[in-house]
Amino acid sequence: MINKLVYATALVTTLAAAPAMAELKVGSIVELSGPGAAAGTNFRDGVKMGFEEINDAGGVLNEQIAVTEYDSQTDPQVSRAMVQKAIDDGVYAIMGTVFSSSTVVNMLVARQAGIPQFTGSEAPSITSMNNPYIFRTAFGSQKGVPKMAKYMADEMKVKKVAIVWANTEFGKGGHTSFLKEAENHGFEIVADIPTEQAQSDFSADIVKLKGAQADAAFVYVTEEESARFLREARKQGVTIPLVGETTLIGHKVIELAGEAANGAMGHVGLTPDANIPAMTEMVEKFKAKFNYTPDHNAIKGYTAAYALKCVTEMVGEPDSQAIAEKMHGLTLKAADCPGVLMDVSWDETGEMSRESFFVQVENGKQVVKAVLPPN
Amino acid sequence: MTRSRITLLALAIAALVVAPLGQGNYIIYTLCSWLVFSIAAMGLNLTLGYAGQVSLAQAGFMGIGAYITALMTLNGVHWSLAAFISIVSSFAVGLALGYPALRVQHHFLAFVTLAFNTLLFLVLRNEEEITGGSFGLVGMPRPSFFGISTDGNLPFYYFSLVCFLLSTGVLWWILRSPWGRAFKALRENPIRAESLGLKIRRQTLLAFAIGSAFGGLAGAMQTPLVQFIEPGSFALIHSLKILLMVVVGGSGFFFGPMLGAAVVILLPELLRFTEGYYLIIYAALVIVLMVYSPNGLIGLGQKLLEKVRPKHEARHDLKQGVSL
Repeated sequence: MINKLVYATALVTTLAAAPAMAELKVGSIVELSGPGAAAGTNFRDGVKMGFEEINDAGGVLNEQIAVTEYDSQTDPQVSRAMVQKAIDDGVYAIMGTVFSSSTVVNMLVARQAGIPQFTGSEAPSITSMNNPYIFRTAFGSQKGVPKMAKYMADEMKVKKVAIVWANTEFGKGGHTSFLKEAENHGFEIVADIPTEQAQSDFSADIVKLKGAQADAAFVYVTEEESARFLREARKQGVTIPLVGETTLIGHKVIELAGEAANGAMGHVGLTPDANIPAMTEMVEKFKAKFNYTPDHNAIKGYTAAYALKCVTEMVGEPDSQAIAEKMHGLTLKAADCPGVLMDVSWDETGEMSRESFFVQVENGKQVVKAVLPPN
Repeated sequence: MTRSRITLLALAIAALVVAPLGQGNYIIYTLCSWLVFSIAAMGLNLTLGYAGQVSLAQAGFMGIGAYITALMTLNGVHWSLAAFISIVSSFAVGLALGYPALRVQHHFLAFVTLAFNTLLFLVLRNEEEITGGSFGLVGMPRPSFFGISTDGNLPFYYFSLVCFLLSTGVLWWILRSPWGRAFKALRENPIRAESLGLKIRRQTLLAFAIGSAFGGLAGAMQTPLVQFIEPGSFALIHSLKILLMVVVGGSGFFFGPMLGAAVVILLPELLRFTEGYYLIIYAALVIVLMVYSPNGLIGLGQKLLEKVRPKHEARHDLKQGVSL
């Protein structure tokens, strides 16, 4: 009888322990509700697809990856709860978040636990906090804006610029670095127009913009606001070039703004329409799976999944600490780690660099005008 | 207070002490959030449930407390002093705002407080040199008391629990003092209260300012809890959230706000499995509750209890009336 009991206990323990042994856990903490839902859902789906492919191909170090999703509700307080939960659940790496206020909070907790975190945020402040566990999946806006300003000065021959920006952490980051670049390239700022997050009526802003007589406008607001802005600009017949970052010409924006998005241009770190076969293939797979065109956030999530896979295999074990150390100063070549889609490197602060594109929207599609080198 | 009530209270406190033991950081953190929001909601309950005034600025008062505490603790001042100043400032701002605002009542007061909350949000965001603007303030230290640090989540929970119990005690005392009786008299029948010699305006103002001071304390606790504050955390939507806590729990009931805070914080978590639908379900539940029981969950509980509890039966032989 006792023997039977012992066997039974042993069997149950093995069965219970077996799945835990064979799985590596990754937490995906993103904005699935609240103002960040559009960006967060893209990022989440990218991460999901990346790890599903990895699992189908045999996983990481022959172990399957179990991704758990957490909703930050675009609220830093909730986000901190979620990152605690993920760490309690025993994740060895964290994907997300996209909005920088949540990322800043999550970084504190992830740092205490020593868990590497792949953020989709582009706010410059994130990599200036000496946090050894934070890694970007797209370079910070302080890098994007100089590339774009240079293109505006050299190729578009712009002299007078109007700036339209969102009065948020994200918008201010872009605004500050654009002003700095404007000085470098000798642009004259003829109008400086701050807008609100979740603003729905841009008619007054457009009137100001039209009155400013600028050669071009730099538009730095988040996706949904960009779409409303573009629609209003079209309605009032704005003819000057509207130049921005990914947030002005992302796929979500093109979808929401419709015809009004045509003609808008800007610098994007990642575009589904870049002429890179791996990227095109990823985008096709994504469309087939989720029934919508992925934007840069989806690609960030997807490449983050593969970056984690490759680095884990380079380290040889799912050791959070060793992975974070390995990432600093690392260059991943697309030839060695195809899932990252383009060559990418991280510096000592977790900042990353990669080639990027200057694109214009034509007939509802991003068309690449120039490839800008990494900086 | 009856003996059974004292036993129940002791059991509840014991449960709160034991609750986080053996739990993961996430649960402990969520419990801390619940305690913080309970304090804010208790303050609003005093204004709304006892004095009958609708305030949409409770998150604004939390913001005042949070920013004062953050700025002071970042500059090396101890949390307890910072928290004291936060509470006093919120009280003072409550008085200053309430004095002109309480000339109007009910939904007009709601508008005035709504405007105040929005204004405060804009000030916090635009005064970048002081408040860090939309970048917020980050890295506020958690306090230590008598050499015991609250850096860990468990010590921080007990620290929050002590603050929570203290403020519950203070509120209980206020409600049983002549002030508390006056607040209730105001809510029930202001004209009668005035005819009995109560100064309506002074009492409402006091209820409003004390309620705001509770908001200030909640803010002072949120700062070391999250260790990051930004203007967005104190925007109007959060005032509405606190209002929802009070209303869902049962405004005018002592334990209403605590129950409401638990529901508002935990329900989204429990409904997470429904994925994209949880906000819809959540909203629908709140609407159904409000239609069926405007007194919130505690009111609902009482309603159900009354149905189950045997009713007092009238003596049949007295139906006809007593005849001699």
